[in-house]
Amino acid sequence: MDTLQHLLAGFAVALSGINLGVAAFGALVGTIVGMLPGLGPINGVAILMPLAFALKLPPETALILLSAVYLGCEFGGRISSILLNVPGDAGAIMTALDGHPMARKGLAGVALSISAWASFVGTVVAFVGIVLFAPLLARWALAFGPAEYFALMCFAFACIAGLMGDAPMKAVLAALIGLSLSTVGLDSNSGVYRFTGGDVHLSDGIQFIVVVIGVFSVSEILLMLENQHSTSGLIRVTGRTLFNLKEMALTTWGTLRSAVLGFVVGVLPGAGATIASAMAYTMEKRLNDSEGTFGKGDIRGVSAPEAANNASAAGSFVPMLTLGVPGSGTTAVMVGALSLYNITPGPALFTQQPDLVWGLIASMLVAAVMLLIINIPLVGLFVKILQVPNWMLVPGILAVSAVGVYAVHATTFDLVLMTVLGLLAYLLRKRGVPMAPLILGFVLGDMMEQNLRRALSITDGELGILVGSPIAIGLWAGAVIMVAVPPIVRVVTRRRAASLAAAKG
Amino acid sequence: MSDRILGAVCVVAAAGMAWAAQDYAAAISYEPVGPKAFPLLLAGLLAVAGAWLVIRPSSHGDALGWAQIKVLLPGAAAMVVYALLFETLGFTVATALMAVPVGMAFGGTWKQSLAGGAGLGVALYLLFDKLLDVVLPSGLLSFVLGGR
Repeated sequence: MDTLQHLLAGFAVALSGINLGVAAFGALVGTIVGMLPGLGPINGVAILMPLAFALKLPPETALILLSAVYLGCEFGGRISSILLNVPGDAGAIMTALDGHPMARKGLAGVALSISAWASFVGTVVAFVGIVLFAPLLARWALAFGPAEYFALMCFAFACIAGLMGDAPMKAVLAALIGLSLSTVGLDSNSGVYRFTGGDVHLSDGIQFIVVVIGVFSVSEILLMLENQHSTSGLIRVTGRTLFNLKEMALTTWGTLRSAVLGFVVGVLPGAGATIASAMAYTMEKRLNDSEGTFGKGDIRGVSAPEAANNASAAGSFVPMLTLGVPGSGTTAVMVGALSLYNITPGPALFTQQPDLVWGLIASMLVAAVMLLIINIPLVGLFVKILQVPNWMLVPGILAVSAVGVYAVHATTFDLVLMTVLGLLAYLLRKRGVPMAPLILGFVLGDMMEQNLRRALSITDGELGILVGSPIAIGLWAGAVIMVAVPPIVRVVTRRRAASLAAAKG
Repeated sequence: MSDRILGAVCVVAAAGMAWAAQDYAAAISYEPVGPKAFPLLLAGLLAVAGAWLVIRPSSHGDALGWAQIKVLLPGAAAMVVYALLFETLGFTVATALMAVPVGMAFGGTWKQSLAGGAGLGVALYLLFDKLLDVVLPSGLLSFVLGGR
């Protein structure tokens, strides 16, 4: 009953005038950012975050804006996947497999509307999941002490390293670089200035916004510069713009299955929308592809990954809200946004700031409804935006990014640091070093160090406390499993494939 | 650049970190773990990760050749100059000038890019500084726009 009451209060927050307006604006901007190839949710959230802060929005409103942008991006990515065969963001890669063939058959309107519907269903399923499970998890997490928190953060890094695919050591490296960057500045416990080189601009550390914009805006522009593609292959939307009941019935179960799968994957730290949509697509293909229509424009191959990627985006809010430990790059940026307001997310937030937490959760449903409404009739408008030339768009992105960074401290130093970090991030990305662990490391660095020091203060330096409780031991074991299992699985599947090939040959 | 170079750079950076961190000590200590333990731990791990890449480099990732650097250089240089002159020239002028090389790198002509950049500079300045109260430097145009 408690939950229901909080949820109603949350809707009261989400439906207030300014928050409704902000959610609508965020949904619109998010769809556009998600749609533009090269820019994904993390870029959208990173570019808007400093502006939200500079505009002095209250914390719940800022968070609602950012989450609407995040969800909007997951909606928007499908538009360019379907019409251009270029995924708008990483979560929409699978949508192109069947969405683009559908568009070439003249069913672009159907593909767009069914995927918007599936995205909506995915978000709603994840919303229900959050309402049911987040309070339980938060209550359980209240028992965490500093040692458990330290273990939990190590677990989050292990998940990212294990799940980020082919280069776990590079993910570890990225996390370490992020953690190292976070140690710059004044150490509040001892009053020692670390790694500042005597520069007064660095004395309170590197600004979070500077890192985020450098890593996700400046380096992204450099990558776009290198891989330019034209929008000449844009397919026009003709014919039916809405799916019919038969198509809806055909996709219903797959959509629901994929949404649940996406939510579960989203809750796990490190996995995220890309993995969720790939898993959902593979699952639906295995279950339904008896006639070999997947990949040639099967409507079920459009709805499943879209339901999964939206559900996982919403699901990734669970670890952030309940544990205070973000599981993805985008939610890490949001934790950074909260820290600008001196709010530390975590289990205590549910009791101390219920309006913030439940307002955010309620606003996800509100944003999902808005996204459904704006995405089906307004598709024509979005297609027009896809035709804005890059020579106009990219200077615009850079200018808005610079405004965001400048708004924090109004120094040239921050702007130069942003550019330098962006160039370094570009070089790292060229070597396949992922940026999500870096930003996670930067956000978690201070928390990790503080929890380690607090834990060791309790025992006066005895390391045993780090493995002193069942929860901590469980988390360490989980971390080991997350790092060890994926490579083993990869080796086993490779051997099996090799032996199969040998048997055939 | 290869994984080997990246790894070597990380090892060197880790050594620098450790060297800088060794002197960090609290004047009065209240806790068993001081300000240098965590940075030293990170430096150690960073050195291990870097050494790993030197010993076992992977072939993933793209090479950065001269052809790419030629494409990237005008855009990258424009970004650095933009950051340096943002305050001095003011937001509007700096944005209009930045848009020329960046816009041209993305296939615009210099006239299109300059016009687009000037439009962006004026529109975003009015939007943020005048309408949304995010203070931006007016620089060279301060005699028209007011402010600093």
